[in-house]
Amino acid sequence: MRAGADPTRGRCEIDRYQYLLLMAGCLVITLPLELVLQARVYRRLRALLWALVPVVVVFAVWDIAGIAREHWTYNARYVTGIQLGFGMPLEELVFFVVIPLCGLLSYEAVGYVLGRFAGHRPTRPAPDVAQRGQVAEPAGRSPRA
Amino acid sequence: MLDSAPFLGIPEYTFLTVLAVVAVVALELCWARTGIFRTAQYWFTMLLVFGFQIPVDGWLTKLRDPVVIYNERQMSGLRLPWDIPVEDFGFGFAMVTLAILLWRRRLDRAARPAATSQTSDPEGATRTP
Repeated sequence: MRAGADPTRGRCEIDRYQYLLLMAGCLVITLPLELVLQARVYRRLRALLWALVPVVVVFAVWDIAGIAREHWTYNARYVTGIQLGFGMPLEELVFFVVIPLCGLLSYEAVGYVLGRFAGHRPTRPAPDVAQRGQVAEPAGRSPRA
Repeated sequence: MLDSAPFLGIPEYTFLTVLAVVAVVALELCWARTGIFRTAQYWFTMLLVFGFQIPVDGWLTKLRDPVVIYNERQMSGLRLPWDIPVEDFGFGFAMVTLAILLWRRRLDRAARPAATSQTSDPEGATRTP
């Protein structure tokens, strides 16, 4: 419980970083997907930028429009106050990078796990695998009859 | 002015979210054609993404002490689970799906540099040096 007497003093300074810390937490939690589950997203930086840049642009435009139309606003207590222009806080840009990045890490990690689960060998697929007539997604192939 | 009548009776954020979902699906079906919607890999990923969206978005939007404050007049008002505006799931779907389809398209094209036309070389036998 915080004392309500003074709105600025005595309040934990870390509050201003709450939104950023939440995003940092997302990166930390998904890091094992890259390191353990072989997502190889960070390690394919060009493809990553290829996917991320359009997403950041489109959603930054949406965000700026949303702010201008008063769809949403930000609690000054939990953001740094750093503005990137058109009323967009730094945290939103970080969000539009971090969340799609986490999505890509998940996508690649799921692909790796499904591939392992199906006993898929990237270099030499088992002969019986080709008979399945399933989705032409290598990682999603199942050797089960 | 800012709280003008919603478009066709639909609140603006709700309308934009539906538009974004339709646009991303159309982008995949008409342009990127990566086939992600037919893969277990994509749908398992979305299951994970929505699973993790609940705690993260739930924290950002909790009405008791919000980080992001939504204007109730620009949204449907339907919040679940917890205080998450239901539109946020469309927003998340559009954002992550767009990233995955661009990523998939980039990887597929990098793997098949000569495949400019999908029909001219059905066997994948010929490859111009």
